[in-house]
Amino acid sequence: MARARLTPRRMVIMLGTLLVVLIVLLLAACTIGSEHIPLADVARTVGAKLFGSQNEVSRENSIIILAIRLPRVLLAIVVGAALSSAGAAYQALLRNPLADPYILGVSTGAAVGAITATLVVGSSPLIRPAAGFSGALVTIAVVYALGEGRRGSISERLVLAGVIVNALLSSVVIFMVTAAAGTRQRSVLSWLIGDLGAEWTLIPFVAVLVGIGIAVIYANARSLNLMMTGEEEASALGVEVRRAKIAVYLAASLITGAAVAVSGVIGFVGLIIPHAVRLAGGSDNRLVIPASALAGGAFLLISDTVARTIIAPRELHIGVITAFIGAPFFIVLLRRTT
Amino acid sequence: MYPVPRKPTAQSSVGRRLSSRSKAFTLFAICATVTLVNCSPGLQTQGTVTVVDEIGRTIRVPVHPKRIVSLAPSVTEMLFALGLNDRIVGVTSYCDYPPEATEKERVGDTLRPGVERIIGLRSDLVVASTSSQVEQFVYRLEQAGVPVYASNPRSVDDVLESLIKLGGITGREGRAKELTREFRSRLDTVARQIDAADRPRVLFLLGVGPLITIGRHTFIDDIINRAGGESVTKDLETDYPQYSFESAVASRPEVIFLQSGDTDLPNRLKQTPAGVSGRVYHLDDALLLRPGPRVIDGVEKMAACLHPQLFPESVGNNR
Repeated sequence: MARARLTPRRMVIMLGTLLVVLIVLLLAACTIGSEHIPLADVARTVGAKLFGSQNEVSRENSIIILAIRLPRVLLAIVVGAALSSAGAAYQALLRNPLADPYILGVSTGAAVGAITATLVVGSSPLIRPAAGFSGALVTIAVVYALGEGRRGSISERLVLAGVIVNALLSSVVIFMVTAAAGTRQRSVLSWLIGDLGAEWTLIPFVAVLVGIGIAVIYANARSLNLMMTGEEEASALGVEVRRAKIAVYLAASLITGAAVAVSGVIGFVGLIIPHAVRLAGGSDNRLVIPASALAGGAFLLISDTVARTIIAPRELHIGVITAFIGAPFFIVLLRRTT
Repeated sequence: MYPVPRKPTAQSSVGRRLSSRSKAFTLFAICATVTLVNCSPGLQTQGTVTVVDEIGRTIRVPVHPKRIVSLAPSVTEMLFALGLNDRIVGVTSYCDYPPEATEKERVGDTLRPGVERIIGLRSDLVVASTSSQVEQFVYRLEQAGVPVYASNPRSVDDVLESLIKLGGITGREGRAKELTREFRSRLDTVARQIDAADRPRVLFLLGVGPLITIGRHTFIDDIINRAGGESVTKDLETDYPQYSFESAVASRPEVIFLQSGDTDLPNRLKQTPAGVSGRVYHLDDALLLRPGPRVIDGVEKMAACLHPQLFPESVGNNR
């Protein structure tokens, strides 16, 4: 998908457009829900909270906006940005178009870490993302080792290793959550196909971790570009390959772990968004990484809004929507690459 | 998008139509049983009689079955209430009431009973509880010659009905009548007491991560009505749907029930009227989720939570 050279102008246009789209979606998502709340009421409620002004919005609607909808909408953006940029990073690092935190089993590994932490230490907003990070890191190491054939990584081998590790870890999740039934643990389905209904307390720390992780990946975008042509070539051109790889692996695992710790395992976002971005703007990682973050946030926000409204007042798990869109996309990619 | 209030549809499911039509048959069958027993008391173990169970299946059961296996805690409680202790040979691993039930042979759990174990127990009647359809194991049991009676109570009235039917099949009609008379009078007492009172808006939660609530066709909805409350989710057609926090807040519940166990009210519901006033209760799940005889206790306990001023002597375990 190599296109014309990435100019600052193209970059500004693309990122600017995505940012505007994201803001429009954010405003829309705040008014849409099982209870419809006009945008003016949303603005008044948020204004009243921020500036202490008078608020004539009904008590219930204020609670819905401040305690339920706003955290959920913001979390969708954070998690979408995290998973998409992690996906972009893994795809570049592994030089594999099918890599993504979900397919590689990294997300489920993070879930195992997060669940273990909740069972052992309790649901602390600091420990859970950290434990998710360790789970993600261990998993990517195992998958990488398994997928590494005698002659280097082959796409199918790596994906196969991911599938197997994912299956194993999913059953670990089911076992742990079932065995711990009756505690404050959330449901198996919420862990395995995702649930963005979280409370404020968890969000700030996760948002900071995700921000740091994306920044680290972005800082290594140039090195990733060169490494995509081959690691030897990259080091010949002065890239410290080892250092860049470790930094990006750590950062991608960190943001996956932090995101999964609050939202459970949400599939396919990290797969489809970076590809869509490359189709639209070329494969220069200096654009792909930030654009994936913005587009991923927007995509997950749309998916979650659909999940919580399509059968309102009942709800669907978010992963149902992302898999519905993502799985066919994965098949198309698979057919193209093999 | 607004939640569209659903129009109530009168008894729509095929299963329900079937079961109500089958009531006449069952009565007939019970009469047939009684007649048969009266005519030939010596044939009690050999003879069989045709009955229609609660989901409309026609089955042949022995007159006065002697080796009964229960496949649900609710059924076990009913059989014990009918005084059939001596004739129960197997129960599920969930059957923990009355205490004597735990001494019976375990045949697995409700959805995956050990068919071989049941046949090995030489059971002459298996009583299953099913809310939707007959599971695959039923056919395997019937092929092995073990009759399976499906009880299917979907409301408190159905429980009483089911007691009468099971009493008929097992030759405990008298005890069944006595029990249902007592239960009716207790239910009537509650109904009289709450008659004039306001009906608080009730949110019943089976799970909090995410919220799982109850629809209009569930057993719990009926209990809430009888206890003098009004379920805020009474318009939902699905039995146990995942429910949005937003709608839960918007429904302004005055009382919230949580499942027993280590669950607290989620922070996001703490500003609801129930959260503010502290009217959040944990009730014994076994009283509310099992369509058995103790559901009457469930109605009384819930009524005490909903109307503390009317039932000052009862104390709910408020947390």
